[in-house]
Formats: sequence, C-alpha cells, structure tokens
Amino acid sequence: MYKTTYDHWSKTKTRRIVGLLILTILFSAAAAPLSAMDAEEIIQKMEENQVHQSAYSEGRMIIRDRFGEKESSFKSWARGEDESLIEFTSRQERGQKILRTEDEIYLYFPDAAEVIRLQGAALRDSVLGSDLSYEDMTGDKGLLDSYEVELLEDEVVDGQPCYQIDMRAVSRDVPYPRQVIWVDKELFATRKVHKYSLSGKLLKEMRIQDYITQNGKTFPARFVVEDKMKSNSSTSFIIDQIDLGVEIPEATFSLQELTW
Amino acid sequence: MKLRKIAWRNIRRNGRRSLLSMSAIGIAAMAFVFLFGFIEGMKHDVAYNIHTFVNGEVLVRHQDFAKYRHLNPLHLGVKNYQELVSNLETRPEVEMMSPRIKFPTAIYQEGNTYRAQGMGVDFNHETEYQQIEQYVVEGRLPRNGENEALIASGLAKDMGLEIGDRFTILTQTMGRGMNAITLNITGISHYDFQGLNGNFFQAPLDRIQYLLRMEDSVSEILIKLHEDYTPESFASVLKTELLQGESWAELEAAPWTRISETYNMIALAEAIYYLIALLFFFLGSTVIINTMMMTVFERRKEIGTVSAMGMTGPEVVRLFFLEAFYISVIGSFVGVLVGIGITYPLSIYGISFGAAMEGVDFEMSEVVRPILNFKSTIFVFVYSSLVASLASLIPSRKSAKVKPVEALRAI
Repeated sequence: MYKTTYDHWSKTKTRRIVGLLILTILFSAAAAPLSAMDAEEIIQKMEENQVHQSAYSEGRMIIRDRFGEKESSFKSWARGEDESLIEFTSRQERGQKILRTEDEIYLYFPDAAEVIRLQGAALRDSVLGSDLSYEDMTGDKGLLDSYEVELLEDEVVDGQPCYQIDMRAVSRDVPYPRQVIWVDKELFATRKVHKYSLSGKLLKEMRIQDYITQNGKTFPARFVVEDKMKSNSSTSFIIDQIDLGVEIPEATFSLQELTW
Repeated sequence: MKLRKIAWRNIRRNGRRSLLSMSAIGIAAMAFVFLFGFIEGMKHDVAYNIHTFVNGEVLVRHQDFAKYRHLNPLHLGVKNYQELVSNLETRPEVEMMSPRIKFPTAIYQEGNTYRAQGMGVDFNHETEYQQIEQYVVEGRLPRNGENEALIASGLAKDMGLEIGDRFTILTQTMGRGMNAITLNITGISHYDFQGLNGNFFQAPLDRIQYLLRMEDSVSEILIKLHEDYTPESFASVLKTELLQGESWAELEAAPWTRISETYNMIALAEAIYYLIALLFFFLGSTVIINTMMMTVFERRKEIGTVSAMGMTGPEVVRLFFLEAFYISVIGSFVGVLVGIGITYPLSIYGISFGAAMEGVDFEMSEVVRPILNFKSTIFVFVYSSLVASLASLIPSRKSAKVKPVEALRAI
C-alpha cells in the first residue's frame, strides 16, 4: 500500500519535472530571438534620447593625472548626430575650436595660419591631453549600423538596474572592435561603457554620474572617461547648461566660419 | 756586450723567421695605434655632441624631469631662467650656456602626420654655443621674436619643404593643454651628428615659450665649462651655492658623466678594448714563442758547444731573451710607425660612416676623426715590446736546460 502510493507520487513528480523542462526549453528557444530584438530596441531608444535636432551647451572638462588637475571650459553647438563645433573659452585654450562634420575633424588654433585636418592615426591623439581621443568624437554614430548587439545578463550600476549589451563591430570603420554598454532601464540612457581592443583588452571606461532631462529627453550631464592605457588618469565632462532645439546658422559648421 | 752581438747575429742569420715574428708583433701594434686613435676620436666626438646638443657639461633641470621625461613634463622646468642665466654669467667656471626647451610635436600635412622633435633656442646664445651657423646648409638662421624655423635636412626632405614654405606644429602645452603655431622656414640644417638630421627643427625660444605657455621658463640650461674646471665639482658647487630659494630649490645640476648613458658605455668599451689589446699581444707573442722554441730545438748542438766552452745556463737564457727582445722592439717600433702613418691622414680627413649612422640612437657623428694620442702611442710601443719579450722567457728558460753532453752526442 505504502509502496503503491509512493510509486504514484514518484511518477507524478517525474512527469511534472519533465513537463517543466520541456516548457523551459520551449521558452528559451522562443526567448532567444526576442532578446536580440530587445537589445536593438534598447539601443534605438537610447539613441533617440541622445541625438537632438540641434543643441547649444556650455560645460567644463576636468583632466586629472599624476601631476594634478586641469580645467578647461567650452561652448558647443551640435546639429543632428554628425555636426558639432566646440570652442574652448578657458584662458589657456581661448579661441581653439574643434569642428566635426560628417566625415572629418578639423582643429583651429588662433596662432596657426592653417586649419589642421585630422586623418588616420592622428584621430587617436588625445583631445587637449584628456582621456578622450578625437576618434571617440567620431564614433557611436548609428551603433546598430556598425555593431552586432547581444543582450547579456542585467546588472545594477551605481544602484540602478541596467541592461547590459555586448556590441561587436561588423565593420573595421569603428574605433573599437567591441564595446559593452550598460543602459539604465528607467531612463534609457547610458550608465557605463567599456571599450575593448581587438585582442579583448579594456581600453577605455566611461561612467555617467549625472543626467539632465529636457524636452522629454535624458542625456548625460556629467561623465568620467578613463583611458586604461594611462595610469592615474581620468577626465570628467560636466555640462553646466544645455538648450535644445536652438536655431544654429547653417555656416556654423563650415570651414570658413571656423577661422573667423 | 758579447751576448748582444751574438743575439744580433742570430737574428740576421734566421732572417725570414725573425721577420715573421716581427710582423706578428708589428701588425698587433699597428692595429692598436689605430684602434686607440679611433677610440680617442670617438670619445672626443661623442663628448662634443653631448656637450653641445644633449646635456652640456653640466645640465641644470628640474630634479624630477628625467623621471617623467616620457610624459613630456614641461611644467617641471627651470623658472625665472633669465635671472639664473644672469647669475651663471658671473661665475668664472662657466664658459658658455644655452637655455632650451625640447618638446615633441605632431605636424599634419596633406593627410600625413609627421612626429618631430622641436627645440626652442635663443639664437644669440647658439651662435656661440652650437656655432650653429656652420650647420646651416641653405637659407639663414631664424630671428628671435619671429615665427620662423631652422629645419633639419631629413625633415625637409620627408615633408617636401623648402625655404619660404611654412608648416604648422601641434603640441602639448605646459598646462597639459594643446596649442599650435605656424612657422616659416628660413633655413635648412645638416649636422655631423645624424640624430639631428631627421625629424628635428629649431625655433626662437621666445616663440616656443609663447606656444607652450611657458612664460619665463625653459626646460633646461646646458653649461660648458672653462678647461680648468671639472663638471662634477662645478655641479656640486652650483647646487649648494646657486640653486637655492623658492624658484630653484627643486632644480638639479647634473654633470654629463653621471647622466649620459653613452659616456658610460664608451668608458666600458674603452676598458674592453684594453683587454682585447692584451689578448692580441699575447696572440702575437705566441708566434715569437713558437719561433724561439723551434730555434732552441734546432740550435741544441750550438747550445751544447757554447755551454761546453763555458757559457753558463743564465747566460744562454739571456742570449735567447735578447734575441726575442730585439725582435719585439723592432716589430713594435715598425708597427707603431705604420699605425701612425695610417691614423694621421685619417685624423685629418676622417672616417665616414655615412648612411650606416642613419636612425642610430647614438651621439656619434657620421664622420669620426681618430686622434693620435702621444701617451697611448708610447703605451702601445712599450706594452707590445714588454709583453712579447716576457712571453719569450718560456722558450729561453728551456734553452738553459739543454745538457752539453747530450747536445754534443748528436754531432
């Protein structure tokens, strides 16, 4: 009697376990393509947040290295995701400008008789001795065109639940063959980015410490970049003021205007 | 007297054999007269290049500059340099000096990036310090206060630049920001020191200070001393007497013998060459030893005869030693004379290493002029004569052991 009851209970349990396993496998198979789509959707939503029709901002860049701290202030104009102009206003760099157009980066220095057009290896040079390279300013345009994305396990960054997305480059035109980004689940804004070399070495880390929300969009107001190839070095970017949707004259992003 | 005559007669009697022994010693002596002359010339050349272009005899710089050199630490410079230069000018030890700023730059031109080493100099000082005018192969020196540059022949060739052209340099400032300036090319330089013929240019110190936001700072001051003073003692005096106070307490005065790796390398090489010389002379001496041993063996009957006639064992040893001594002295003398004959014209016209020195990170000129040094020439003569003579003692002593009865039995 006891044996019969036990056998029945055992069979029922076995059937339940098998059933659960089948369900798990079925759900996993169905969930795999869903995850890939989710990753793309997250990136799309995040990019919608970060790209604006036009924006004017003022901010500061604080570079820390083994010799101390250095602060530079700047004004910036941006249109869409391809055009931007940064003009430095701090005493040491007053009048220096960086113009980014769709494919090029130009540097203007008041004491130089010609504008410097950056190309090739020169794009890897540091922007004003910071942890940011000129190449970093050109990257990240249309991430989904350049990277294959995969959703990894969610993680908590600075107390906030985040999607973790692994991005592997599909072309050689990007500065980093692999990036891992953590996107805030609530804000749909980047919380942290790791940029890797082809060999898998961590080259740069970016952490966003504060955000500004304006016109329903949320974007970084304070972030820190660390070049992992330099020791004791980090650069903080702080946006003090930002105006979205401002009118910017067409010529602002032209070479002629740069030298004025 | 009698032994000397017999020794001379024996040398002449075995003419070919004596000539072979003399040649062995002579070739070694000749090689070392040239080698020591070449080392002396190289030392002199490297010292001149280091004193003039790299460190001076005494280098004044921030004590931490060398530690962070790879980070281009322009903020670790010599502040209030003009006041320091004025003070140095009053010192009796100082012959001349050169305040400078050395800095790495990037030059962007038509899609290409060139990395170059720039040097900000006061051209009034450099006319005396570098005797810079002799190195200007085309055009003229830049003028202080103007955005002008004297560029190296290699850089001009690489970038396709000529007199009248201009180029823009981008560099890191003292505050670790960036700045760029456009310089007009007024002159092209070519130095004997190949290291300065590549990606190198010189521009007025005041314009480079402006570019790098260095105000009244330079990265270093190079000092050449009058002959009566040594770099080590002056560096020590400078640190205790002048480099004090708020502005200069963090500066160091470094003698070139302490900071130049090349100098230390040459000092080591010199010791190694002396050791090699010793080995060469021993090698030359083996020919004498061999000849003398053969002679002793062949002249057993003769040794037996002279011994039977009353010549003592020590006298026989002296006879063979004298033969070897004469051969060594004549061989060394002729070798030294031939060595002088080869080295002297080379000390005037020089030995050109030309393209072999391109890209070599060593403070040696492409043309090295050996220097005939009286002391080292005499040393080679005495040394080679002595080593060869002493080496002959081995077979000479053997001759004394020949017993007259055994030797005469062979007749």
